[in-house]
Amino acid sequence: MAEIQRRLQALSEDYTKLQKDLQDTVTSRQKLEAQMQENLGVQNEFEKLKDGETIYKLIGPVLLKQDRTDAESTVKGRLEFIEKEISRLEGHIKETQAKMEKKKTEIIQVQTSAQAAAGAGPQAVKGRA
Amino acid sequence: MNLSRRMLTKEEEDAVGDEIEVRREDQDKINKFSRLHSRELIIEDELKVKTKEKEELDDITMELELADEDDLVPYKIGDAFFHLPLPQAQELLGLSTAKIEEEIGELEDKMGTIREEMTQLKVELYARFGKTINLET
Repeated sequence: MAEIQRRLQALSEDYTKLQKDLQDTVTSRQKLEAQMQENLGVQNEFEKLKDGETIYKLIGPVLLKQDRTDAESTVKGRLEFIEKEISRLEGHIKETQAKMEKKKTEIIQVQTSAQAAAGAGPQAVKGRA
Repeated sequence: MNLSRRMLTKEEEDAVGDEIEVRREDQDKINKFSRLHSRELIIEDELKVKTKEKEELDDITMELELADEDDLVPYKIGDAFFHLPLPQAQELLGLSTAKIEEEIGELEDKMGTIREEMTQLKVELYARFGKTINLET
């Protein structure tokens, strides 16, 4: 009986860990989404620029002039990186969800077998509602 | 959370023997440890923010050293930008950098004190409760 309790405890901790992992990953994914929108916005603005218009970057309190080509390629590179990260995280999310489902099933199995074992002994009395 | 100190197994629990009484002073120490830990986390976050700010200031200071003496530098003060001559912008940057370094120093000092206190409490609590208490953060 104590063995089953210990097993349930361990499985329960595993499940909680997975839940936290999922939550953290989802939060990261949301942050990336926001960053992607921001960079897409910047890219849009760049496309509307006429020749001769200057691009500035805010570093600390100073607006520093940027070279147009450099700025455009930096933003493009960032967007590519963000897209890759988003795919990776989405994969991880699906994996973690699958692991959680499996863990849930394991827990239910152990609980059912615990009830079966206890069924042979004194019954739990269910009161009337 | 670090789970390296797992909950006691039945054998370990038996080996510990009789439970040690938690006196008022012990509970106070435990509560103090908890409060210190919360403050530690807050200061860690603040340090992260300020360190990032300082890095940006250092970056722009370097960039401006390469700038043309005659260029006007758009410098943000509040919500407005002022076109300042290079030397003035550099002076303001210097002041900001010094201020942030001081703030970072203060935070690090506070952090040091908190960590010392936490270590001391750990020593005292582990001495009294041994394996039956978990103070790992």
